[in-house]
Amino acid sequence: MNNETVEIKKGIKLHQIQTNKFKTNLLAVFLSLPLTKETVTKNALIAAVLRRGTAKMHSQEMISQNLEEMYGATFDCGIEKTGDNHTIKFYLEAINDQFLPEKEDLLRRGMDLLLDIIFNPYIEKEMFKEEYVEGEKQNLKQIIEGKIDSKDRYAIERCVEEMYKDKPYGLYKFGYIEDIEKITSKELYDYYKTMIQECKIDIFVSGDIKENITQDIEKNENIQKLIERELKLLKDEDNTEVLDVKKVTESMQVTQGKLVLGLQINGVEKEESYVGTIYNTILGVGANSKLFQNVREKESLAYTCGSNYIKRKQLILVRAGIEIKNEEKALEIIQKQLDDMKNGDFSEEDIGNSKNLILSTIDNITEEQDTEISYYFGQELSNNFISVEEYRSKIQDITKEQVQKIASKVKVDTIYFLRD
Amino acid sequence: MELIESLKIKEKLYIEKLKNGMTVMIIPKENTNKKYVIWGTHFGSIDNHFILPETGEEVVVPDGVAHFLEHKMFEQSSGRNSLDTLMALGVEANAYTTNNHTSYLFEATNNFYEALDELMDYVQNPYFTDENVEKEKGIIAQEINMYDDDPGWQLYMNALDCLYKENAIKIDIAGTVESIGKIDKDLLYKCYNTFYHPSNMVLVVCGDFKPEEILQEIKNRLVEKPMQGEIKRIYPESEEEEINKPYMEADMEISKPAFLIGFRGKNEEEDKVKKHIAMEIILDMIAGKSSKLYQKLYEEGLLLSPPSFDYEFDKNYEFVMITGQSSDPEKIKKEILAQVEEYKKGIDEKHFERIKKKVYGDYVTEYNSISDIARMFLSDYFKGINSFDYIEQYNTVNFEYVKQVLEEIFDEKKCIMSVVRKK
Repeated sequence: MNNETVEIKKGIKLHQIQTNKFKTNLLAVFLSLPLTKETVTKNALIAAVLRRGTAKMHSQEMISQNLEEMYGATFDCGIEKTGDNHTIKFYLEAINDQFLPEKEDLLRRGMDLLLDIIFNPYIEKEMFKEEYVEGEKQNLKQIIEGKIDSKDRYAIERCVEEMYKDKPYGLYKFGYIEDIEKITSKELYDYYKTMIQECKIDIFVSGDIKENITQDIEKNENIQKLIERELKLLKDEDNTEVLDVKKVTESMQVTQGKLVLGLQINGVEKEESYVGTIYNTILGVGANSKLFQNVREKESLAYTCGSNYIKRKQLILVRAGIEIKNEEKALEIIQKQLDDMKNGDFSEEDIGNSKNLILSTIDNITEEQDTEISYYFGQELSNNFISVEEYRSKIQDITKEQVQKIASKVKVDTIYFLRD
Repeated sequence: MELIESLKIKEKLYIEKLKNGMTVMIIPKENTNKKYVIWGTHFGSIDNHFILPETGEEVVVPDGVAHFLEHKMFEQSSGRNSLDTLMALGVEANAYTTNNHTSYLFEATNNFYEALDELMDYVQNPYFTDENVEKEKGIIAQEINMYDDDPGWQLYMNALDCLYKENAIKIDIAGTVESIGKIDKDLLYKCYNTFYHPSNMVLVVCGDFKPEEILQEIKNRLVEKPMQGEIKRIYPESEEEEINKPYMEADMEISKPAFLIGFRGKNEEEDKVKKHIAMEIILDMIAGKSSKLYQKLYEEGLLLSPPSFDYEFDKNYEFVMITGQSSDPEKIKKEILAQVEEYKKGIDEKHFERIKKKVYGDYVTEYNSISDIARMFLSDYFKGINSFDYIEQYNTVNFEYVKQVLEEIFDEKKCIMSVVRKK
């Protein structure tokens, strides 16, 4: 394997991925912690405040100038739900020295800057600069309000929210407007200080890097300040039995209706999640899928129709953009596809096609730096380490009986419809 | 085969013009599992009026026909759909239509040659029937509806309406529900036979290939066709240089107004690559991440992230677009114009050098992905550009030249704004 992992301190790991496929080096630092209503908004706000300044570079302008000097190195941060946990992600991408007009050490410069942004923020009067926190509070508010801008994403987000009401996974990853106002700069900084000493930390370095950089990272002053930690991450809750299908309809100014179905798979055994991937592919991934063939090609009801499988939650989201008057018809056809799957009404060819599609996704993991990092990070979180080859062979071994067995465990939980 | 090498980024390009007039471009990449192929024809939404090379007949077609044709190319006489066949092979296949070209592509880690068989077969063997053409109208109508709900698309279409009174670029790529209603199979065959001739097409491959071998594989799969003369395309008379109208707005359900500030260029024959590089530097200097203006607007809460920049050009159009979301679009426009005026008096040379370095990094990063590489070479080809030129000409863009381009394009009289407001 080309991924070497070392534990620098308890709870803090460095993963070095050697690859010669790219012109760039990609550095990433992920902070993971349990997803709760109390902390979700603060985490989102922290990610935003940290990019405003470091102890050495007091403003975003200075950080940006520095990145531009590094041949347009890019810094990015984001926030994601990883099952019932929350991960704050920071990235820095810089050109590998082989492709620069002159020698520079962009790798180390980049790593120092990235760690500074995360662990050595600009502090005034024992707290984050108030102006930065206030500004970012306003910005975060706008991001949360902007949830409605993409109707497709909004409908999916709303379906998940309804499906996991009062559960960690139902929380919105950017938090809540009503919680933003209450947060003060002092409080946020105090929370941050505790958070960085308690969260799980994963550092990734991907690129054509000949030397081992473990020592450089260990010696970094920011890493030295971090203490060993016991991890408190949440284990993903199992799905509960569906009693009634929940139906939610919302209206907004839209020309096209957005239909989303939340399906849950109950009582999945560990090895079965690979089967879930095949089930979902036959159902709703790509042009050969049942949903695409029947909802779009046979009935011309939709331009987009497909499904996604969120393994960590054993959740499948079916989505279709349809004419509003066709809601009933579309639901009927979607339900028919679920029944067909249950009744084994799919061929060996369908299984073979799905395997081909999944295998090529697996072969593509190493073709994008952030995909490869996400792959190893997913394994790190689920504590399930398999090589790409093992992953391939697990997929190849799956039989029709297994897929049909999974199909019988799939239940419609929530139907969400966004209309005019 | 002609070989062009870029020493700076360590990549090679092989080009061959085949006897039937088709161009093949090969960019070998050894360290990758993926293989990418894209086959494009020089036929897009702006090509709605032309003269058939064989008969001399002048034809005007309904809006959206290039895109409609793209959808229908996958249909096979066997009843199979080629997209399904390709997906079944485990390759990622797609097609898209732009203003000036239509492309068919796939990306494979396995089964590359089986997929190449299918791609080259379906692009060379259309199968249109009254029935399958009718059926597609429902699907495309849903696609048009989807764009109707997309604030970004509305913003862009209205901006084009501001920039030009009459220009083929204003035509919606998918057409309208009404215009596609007029499309039938004879029309599709007519367009196909005219524009899908090898002499109007280019095929680009990128991945772990031996150039001679892959070239032969491509040749083996080509159907012989009689030579065809040049297709004469007719575009609306190039109008006076004035913009159509300075402002347009629409209401949609969004959280915050979206704005697009545009400047119309003169569209002169000149060194396009050099100008493009200069334009990227200028736009970043005006409102990029480290600019004074962006910092100010960010602190005032008027911009959440730097606006995105576009510079589009072809034979018939040239414009700059600055797009973003803000509670106060008018203020953004005023500030941008003020910044432009300030820069016309003088530019900070350090700032210029810094952004120039950044732009170099951006160009190098584009070579990270084989799909980006292949698509870039294809779309640049239809503009008469070799993509390597961006890296090669980079050093010729100096401070003086950037000032000259700034003077030329950023003229208040040629400035428009399109806004989508919160309902």
